[in-house]
Amino acid sequence: MRRRLTLSIAAMAVAAPLAAQEITIVREVDSNNYDPHRTTARGAAEVLFMLGDTLVALDTDMQTITPGLAESWEVSEDGKVYTFRLKEGVKFCDGRDMTADDVVYSIQRWIDPETKSPVAWRAGDVAEVKALDPLTVEYRLEAPVSELLYQLTQAFAIIIDRNQVEALGADFGVTGMNGTGPFCWGEWTPRDKMVITRHEGYSWGPPVYENQGPAHMAQITWQIVPEENTRTVSVITGQSEVTQYVPHIAVSRLRQTPGVLIQKSDLAFWTYFIGFKTDKTVVSDPVVRQAMNLAVDQAAMAEDLYFGEVEPAYSYVSQEALDWNADLDDRLLKFDPDRANAMLDEAGWTRGADGVREKDGVRLEPLIYVFAGSGWSKISEAVQAYLREIGVNLVVQPFDATVAWGKLATQEFDMFGMSYPYVSSGDALNLYFRSENMPTPNRMNWNDPETDRLLDAGKTALDPVVRAASYGEVLGKVHDAAVWIPLYHEPMIIAQSDRLEPVEPHNIYGCGLYKGLDLKFRE
Amino acid sequence: MIAQLANRIALSIPVLLGVLALGFALLQLVPGDPAIVLAGPTATEEVVQAIRVEMGLDKSVPHQFVLYLGRLLEGDLGRSLISNKTVASELGAAIGPTAELMVACLAWSIPLGILLGTVAASLRGGVIDRLVMAFSVAGVSLPIFFICLLMIQYLGVEWRLFPFLGRGGPLWTAEGLDHIVLPALSLGLIFVGPVARMTRSSVLEVLKLDHVRTARAKGLSETAVLVRHGLRNALIPVVTLVGLQAGYLLGGAVVTESVFSWPGVGRLAVGAILSSDFPLAQGAILTLAMAFIVINLIVDAAYAALDPRVRGA
Repeated sequence: MRRRLTLSIAAMAVAAPLAAQEITIVREVDSNNYDPHRTTARGAAEVLFMLGDTLVALDTDMQTITPGLAESWEVSEDGKVYTFRLKEGVKFCDGRDMTADDVVYSIQRWIDPETKSPVAWRAGDVAEVKALDPLTVEYRLEAPVSELLYQLTQAFAIIIDRNQVEALGADFGVTGMNGTGPFCWGEWTPRDKMVITRHEGYSWGPPVYENQGPAHMAQITWQIVPEENTRTVSVITGQSEVTQYVPHIAVSRLRQTPGVLIQKSDLAFWTYFIGFKTDKTVVSDPVVRQAMNLAVDQAAMAEDLYFGEVEPAYSYVSQEALDWNADLDDRLLKFDPDRANAMLDEAGWTRGADGVREKDGVRLEPLIYVFAGSGWSKISEAVQAYLREIGVNLVVQPFDATVAWGKLATQEFDMFGMSYPYVSSGDALNLYFRSENMPTPNRMNWNDPETDRLLDAGKTALDPVVRAASYGEVLGKVHDAAVWIPLYHEPMIIAQSDRLEPVEPHNIYGCGLYKGLDLKFRE
Repeated sequence: MIAQLANRIALSIPVLLGVLALGFALLQLVPGDPAIVLAGPTATEEVVQAIRVEMGLDKSVPHQFVLYLGRLLEGDLGRSLISNKTVASELGAAIGPTAELMVACLAWSIPLGILLGTVAASLRGGVIDRLVMAFSVAGVSLPIFFICLLMIQYLGVEWRLFPFLGRGGPLWTAEGLDHIVLPALSLGLIFVGPVARMTRSSVLEVLKLDHVRTARAKGLSETAVLVRHGLRNALIPVVTLVGLQAGYLLGGAVVTESVFSWPGVGRLAVGAILSSDFPLAQGAILTLAMAFIVINLIVDAAYAALDPRVRGA
């Protein structure tokens, strides 16, 4: 029984009916802004998906593209022209009708060099975007982009209001973001909370949800709670109704806590890995990289460090991801330290007096850059211990997140720790393995013309089978070369109050609640 | 007295300048490039450099400091690099909650500390005296974050008496009062101990003085002697301590605000430093320094009110 003291019974009585329609979602960090073109933060995407809509949406299976603001679309035979037919009656939060001009403006601003969007490349090589009539948009590309629709499901591609962008200038996404989503901008206090309110006329939600609008919740407060224990107990005590930021150690306890439900997605599209800078002497030999892969026990790490709540990873993308090459399933490198030692012995890496291997004057003593903080500290210490068993002395250098991104753009290190969200194999491969993306995000310096050719083939493929084959080949090449040590795939876990109907976790960009249309109190 | 205060205010200007210079220099030592933070992990070097120029980060540190001082004199604290909101508006929104927390904390901890110290002094050497001193030592010794977690665990989770998530509203509302209880209790606990100890020793000193003996000789009750002749004269060092401890309290508020998600200046400062938001961090440092100076000015004024000898000095 809840015995919370209330200092004004009358005030509580008035507040009670309102509380039935309002929830608080707690999360770890805020975003720097809510301009879809100027931020890559997950914290921004979480709110933007609710404030705005995209032309197309992604189903919870992470493969099926569904209508969003576009009720239908056609792709030309050469794959260069997408024609979107927009839904009628869509309105921005300020009541203005959304038209094809808004779509054109949104795409143009996204790719405009003046915008300096760090994610402009995701829009493809755009030749022209134009409105054929108020409800039809033509999106013309210089070359086909087989995964364009997947990119258009992302928060970067939500449709924005030109009038507001021009009126607010640099304050767009800071003092307001007028979207067409199921919720409207309420009030943002940076680093504290974002309050969003129901878009009353909303009725054009994607078929991902049974409820396509309006939202059940009248108001959602996204509350920033940096302290993980506070986040956890806030759900237990009902001070917050939902969070996806639960420490792994608390998940099993929450499962047994009355009043709390844990929702876990079967999919895991956020992968943690250690990458090798493949042209650095100490890790340039594929045998060394393969041996290091074999030395790491991902299953034990998943169990011991993450209490069995994550999926041990042996593949660079989830094996459930679109275009994963199933032929690789039997070739993945799994824990086998004896084989790792034998491979290094055979390759001529001999142990010195201190147990560290050497060859031709090179000691197996790679330097790894990781993010400071409990997560990567635990991972790097565990990997360090595993590698020590095969004669590798891993030197760990952690950096605060504000420094790490800059450091990771240098050539100073031999290995690095990283995690990332993706929607498909192609999304991940085009980001990390294109030679033009060196030194970042291709921090491996993976410079292989054949890979580039295959990525181009996959990216421009008109036939899904050809696309899958091209990306499948790239997956084979990089796995065989052991360019990474995959560690674990993180599934989406949501802790929610049982006063809410069970929510279905989504994996899009790590935003478990996606558009929030299924957030509803039990009747 | 007015001349004395004016002198104090004049002296605080170089102090403030020193704090600003030190804060600016220290922030330069904090590793991190705000331009990279803003640009995101996949941005090209050209984009990062363009943002750096736009933010004036390509200029030398002394040049940046001089520009900052110039803007400060015009009342412009700049804009947050992260949110693009003016620093003044961000600080304006955070000062209220921190002030509320300080008031709520001091409102219960100072009277309780004085009461405990006085009781302990009057019962010197007894069980209550020892209990009060043990409580004081515990309050001083326990880390503030641990006190916060204990409060959440017992008063928030086990017994569900009070909420612990953020600020419910202004202090004069029921929700606001409900939400401030745990942060104010946690923060106040570190304050009660020193006040109680100082009050105890000060009262004991005063009780040995001649005027107290005279008061007793006149036949006044022990309570009247203690309160009217002992406590009032014993309060001067306590006021000094309150002034000094208030600075410590501001430090404690940084932790308390972080644990309870209290949207105050302390939490703002931590967030700004961690995200390399230099203008905001500098603004928060300036605010905290000014708060410290103002508290000390108030203490000086209180001295004068309590002790006629200071007024004449």
